[in-house]
Amino acid sequence: MITKHTSVTALAIIGLMFAGTACKRGHDNTGVEYAPQMYDAVGYEPYRQIRPNTINPQGLNMRLPARGTVARPNYHTTFGEGANAKTDLMIYHIPADSIEIAERVLTNPIPETEQSLAEGKTLYTRYCSHCHGETGKGDGLVGKEYKGVPNYSSDALKTLNDGHIFHVITNGKGRMWPHGSQITPEDRWKIVQYVHKLQQG
Amino acid sequence: MLIHSINIVHKMSRLYKLGGALILSLMLLVSNSQLRAQDAAPAGGADAEKGKTLFTNNCAQCHAVTDEKVVGPGLKGVESRTPGKDWLHKWIRNSSALIASGDQYANQVFNANGKVQMSSFPSLTDADIDGILAYIDQANKPAVTNGGGGGGTTDPAPAASASGPSELFTFVLVALLIVMLLVLGVLLAIVTILSKAVAPATAGGVEESSNFGQRLKTGLSNAFNNPTLRSIVIWLFLLVVAKETIDGAYSIGIQQGYAPKQPIAYSHKLHAGQYKIDCNYCHTGAQKGKNATIPAANICMNCHGVIKKESPEIQKIYTAIEENRPIEWVRVHNLPDLAYFNHAQHVNVGNVACQTCHGEIEKMEVVEARSSLTMGWCIDCHRRTDVNTKDNAYYDKLVALHRKESKEPLKVANIGGLECSKCHY
Repeated sequence: MITKHTSVTALAIIGLMFAGTACKRGHDNTGVEYAPQMYDAVGYEPYRQIRPNTINPQGLNMRLPARGTVARPNYHTTFGEGANAKTDLMIYHIPADSIEIAERVLTNPIPETEQSLAEGKTLYTRYCSHCHGETGKGDGLVGKEYKGVPNYSSDALKTLNDGHIFHVITNGKGRMWPHGSQITPEDRWKIVQYVHKLQQG
Repeated sequence: MLIHSINIVHKMSRLYKLGGALILSLMLLVSNSQLRAQDAAPAGGADAEKGKTLFTNNCAQCHAVTDEKVVGPGLKGVESRTPGKDWLHKWIRNSSALIASGDQYANQVFNANGKVQMSSFPSLTDADIDGILAYIDQANKPAVTNGGGGGGTTDPAPAASASGPSELFTFVLVALLIVMLLVLGVLLAIVTILSKAVAPATAGGVEESSNFGQRLKTGLSNAFNNPTLRSIVIWLFLLVVAKETIDGAYSIGIQQGYAPKQPIAYSHKLHAGQYKIDCNYCHTGAQKGKNATIPAANICMNCHGVIKKESPEIQKIYTAIEENRPIEWVRVHNLPDLAYFNHAQHVNVGNVACQTCHGEIEKMEVVEARSSLTMGWCIDCHRRTDVNTKDNAYYDKLVALHRKESKEPLKVANIGGLECSKCHY
């Protein structure tokens, strides 16, 4: 009687030891959450949704903002200092296929300073350089794969003006797709300044 | 098991041999192509030299000198297939005007290449264009005689090396299993020896004849009846249980190592590591807002409208766009609502690199939560990190006040980095 029990206990002990050391949480498991509603909130949250929404289309919590919505927190409308200060709302209604209008009408509202150029360079590195290359030669790592990325300092491109470059960033041109959704108008104008530097070769 | 592991070792050595042969053949190929390039150089005239510079600056982005199509058609034999040099001069300087004028061949070329408008190059003179044409001719001559098996030879090497790590992994696993089994065997042997030693000699000839199962039973029961051994086992058991309980309690709410399967097998290793695309290109909110934001499908399309359109994983993006439904990525870093975190504050103002909290994202095939995101982890960093007060008038008075009390530089902890209500409200 006793012998039977001991072998069972021994087996149980060995089994538990294995279970304790070998069994770790899988990569697909978040583990135990204390107060789970703090992780999957009852209220609506961006970027985290467990239950389908019963009100919105397609069961989504997030809805698209109304067309033409402008995010206000980072939106500047006055540029320059003192008497040179200039107000520009940077709201343009130029159709995507009318690059000639952009060339004629648009001018950069941001006065060129050392700081704005430095910011332009940072933004260029962030949004453009993987295709257009560090120096605008079209030799970025992605550009080589993408193919057809032009050289800013080539004869056909080195004279392009503010409006043209701004319009291409916003709406794309040729093989390039529009980047207007990623970059605010103000940042686009700073990039334009830096691209002018790169056009000089 | 042992046979299996030997088999794997054998396979691996074969793999190394294969890899060696591949590398050797690659080296041969490279040296071969270098020789070819040297052959080509001395043949050109002054005209073609200038044409080469013009070509690389103006044309090479869209055209190859061979018959390979890049964006526009390959330019090998372009002079003989078009209506002549005069036509080419007009076309290159202003192709859209030529198309608009109703020129038959211009329209044919335009339609045959997907109606993609070629840039105009009004500044190129007739002589410049002739130079470019001369360069194209010259570049094709040696390439035609020597070429043939030029492209597409590098493919097998990465595939072979890619299967390496997983084989190694299984090998290590098998080896570990063998070691564990050996340890188990040794332990069992020790137990039997011990139980034999503690068992009194009374179990004599009768036990000798009984089968192994019975002997094990009596051995174990003898061991169980031994108080020392019994207490050792019980204590060990309690210790293991206690450790597991404490570990389990500490891991509540910690999602370190969480790496869920995503709806699309997107690789940060490829995009951020190999192609060095800036994190901010896709996560546009990191510099400006609370969330770093997950890119919408239109940002994927900025590149994948052209690159790797046929891949089944990228086709999933196309389907999502066609059906107008979002891609349901699984959130990896999910801070509970009891704590507030803002990306812009850390990334833009504090200048903290993404990798400080997210680990080496540029090396991850599947994103994994690398940091514990516990309060202790946050506070630790706030205690350690100096505030960048240089050239920032906002901090001048704070720094002056801080100097009176301490000689240490101003840390995040000194400007409210430890205040409860900064993050919990």
